[in-house]
Amino acid sequence: MIVHPSPSQTTVSDPPMMAPPVPLRTYEGMASWQTLRARRWYAVMGLMVLLTCGAVVFCLQFGAHALTMAELWAALTFSTTGSEDVARVIIWDIRFPRILMGLFVGASLAITGAALQALVRNPLADPYVLGISSGAALGATIGLAFGLGSIVGGLGLPLCAFIGGGLSIVLVYGIAASQGRLPMHQLLLAGVIVNAVCSALMMFATSILNPASLYRVVLWLMGTLSAPSTPALLGIGFCLLIAIVLLLRESQALNLLAVGEDAARSLGVDSDRVQQTVFLVSAVLTGAVVSVSGMIGFVGMVVPHLVRILCGADHRLLLPVSALGGGILLMVADTVARTVVAPAEIPVGVITALIGGPFFIYLLMTRKYRFFA
Amino acid sequence: MSQHASISAVVSHLPAFEVRQLSFRYDSMPSHPSANRSAWVINRMEFTVRQGEIVGVIGPNGSGKSSLLKLLAKLVRPQEGTIQLFGAELGALSRESISRQVAYMPQELSSDFPFSVLDMVLMGRFPYRRGGLWNLVGWERQEDLAVAEEVMAQTDVTHLANRMVDTLSAGEQQRVLLARALAQVPRVLMLDEPTAHLDLNHQLDVCRILQRVHEQSQMTVLLVSHDINLASQYCDRILVMKQGAVVCIGPPQDVIHPRILTEVYGCQVLVDVHPDTGLPRVSLPSQDRHQTVAVSGML
Repeated sequence: MIVHPSPSQTTVSDPPMMAPPVPLRTYEGMASWQTLRARRWYAVMGLMVLLTCGAVVFCLQFGAHALTMAELWAALTFSTTGSEDVARVIIWDIRFPRILMGLFVGASLAITGAALQALVRNPLADPYVLGISSGAALGATIGLAFGLGSIVGGLGLPLCAFIGGGLSIVLVYGIAASQGRLPMHQLLLAGVIVNAVCSALMMFATSILNPASLYRVVLWLMGTLSAPSTPALLGIGFCLLIAIVLLLRESQALNLLAVGEDAARSLGVDSDRVQQTVFLVSAVLTGAVVSVSGMIGFVGMVVPHLVRILCGADHRLLLPVSALGGGILLMVADTVARTVVAPAEIPVGVITALIGGPFFIYLLMTRKYRFFA
Repeated sequence: MSQHASISAVVSHLPAFEVRQLSFRYDSMPSHPSANRSAWVINRMEFTVRQGEIVGVIGPNGSGKSSLLKLLAKLVRPQEGTIQLFGAELGALSRESISRQVAYMPQELSSDFPFSVLDMVLMGRFPYRRGGLWNLVGWERQEDLAVAEEVMAQTDVTHLANRMVDTLSAGEQQRVLLARALAQVPRVLMLDEPTAHLDLNHQLDVCRILQRVHEQSQMTVLLVSHDINLASQYCDRILVMKQGAVVCIGPPQDVIHPRILTEVYGCQVLVDVHPDTGLPRVSLPSQDRHQTVAVSGML
């Protein structure tokens, strides 16, 4: 491209040693850009919240027993009478906790995936690359092997998994960190190695388990959202809330890190602190999610890509939209999973892959997507 | 750029950079004191950069030019020696406070993520961000956008504002990087090979913009370049480096000298005078010529 510098742009002799006059201008052009940026953020977020509410209502209505709008309304407003009490029980005791769990788990997986893809600068990153999930799975398997699954009021399994996940966070961090820094290639390698070792140990453990426990392990590994306990629901909601706040605070720093670590540091990003924060937040959230719902694939890797295609790469928008998008995807997928072969259920991971995969391929082929091109 | 006004109004005699006994190497293993000093990338450098001057850094490949810039931007830390930035110890300054004073323009823009030009330029406002509960995601304020518009006009990228950076030509990308650096409203601008990979016309563009910015703001500029002629044309002083040490520092007329260049680069060079500016100009002799020839009488 040929650029013709216009004569008007050339400086005409400022007196030497004197400060240039402060330009008195209105920034109309810029103001419209700014309002566009801020307005766009609020518009997209508002739309996503509405979509989420819509998805919640949709998921409440459908299931093994489809409800009419009247029944749904009566149950939601606690104005049920007689025959409608069934609807109230279905909605408030069965479906609502499960839907909420789907929302929390999907949101956690997607926001973690988005943050980790920026952190390690790898499009294949998902919450499971850090090796935390394998540690949690190993913890769960060992817990089942020793019959700890049903202690502490049914919370034994998630607790074992969370302890396993926590130990693998310590392990991965210990392997990767050196001299107060957390090099990203080391982190990826440490994650891969911890994954491999934990998987091997888990295979060994499953080979000596009795068939009943083995079946529970297999089911747990497939991931399920059914019958969440209240403590699990509260715990994951709390973790998610903290994680969203911490990650959003670092979202502009993630933008800068995405265009190069040296550049980011020269622009004032404390890269060591940001990398450690994002790693720890992601790791703890992943450990918590895997503990309560097992390994639900696909959401963490693909949702951030979908959002990037639709909304751009700015992490200030990408992170919250990914969270809501992941929540919606998992809620809807779970509703499908518990509806289509009712009263039986399909593992929800199957549905997330079957819904999300073709949609992702469609977007990839019809839109120009330049991520690590 | 209103902040320039306040900065240049404070006439200070402190040097932009005061570098003393600076030594650096990449492996951080402790070594025996008698270990070979040639392993050091930067070896006991001493020099001063005055406020408001343009200093060019030249030297052969591997002489430590880029490492020097990284040291001055505190992207890496020296093992020995001190760097003072406007009289303050660089090691004691926070990353944020350095990034408000020193802008570092990397060699090229990495474009893995699809960001728009405006996004990219606004990243230069990161050191001035204001967080808080109501602005958790850190949206830019009106004055940030005002600065961005100003620097985008200066670097002639306003019309590209909504383009994605990875769709731009090399010259345009370079100007966007420059705009991002200027958006930091720095007192010192450091450029690593700003004209590498650019054709003549785009080289001229970047140099013109730099000169214009320098004239307007009296910004101190530190420029690493392989292009000795460019350094000669635009720099007040030139720092010649070899094997991590200062060979000499001075105005182009003194430093661009066949004897010095031959010593530093290890090959014969011709130095004559630029027909327009009268500044020294370097060219390589033809193959069969083995003697260094100084054509210029003033040399």
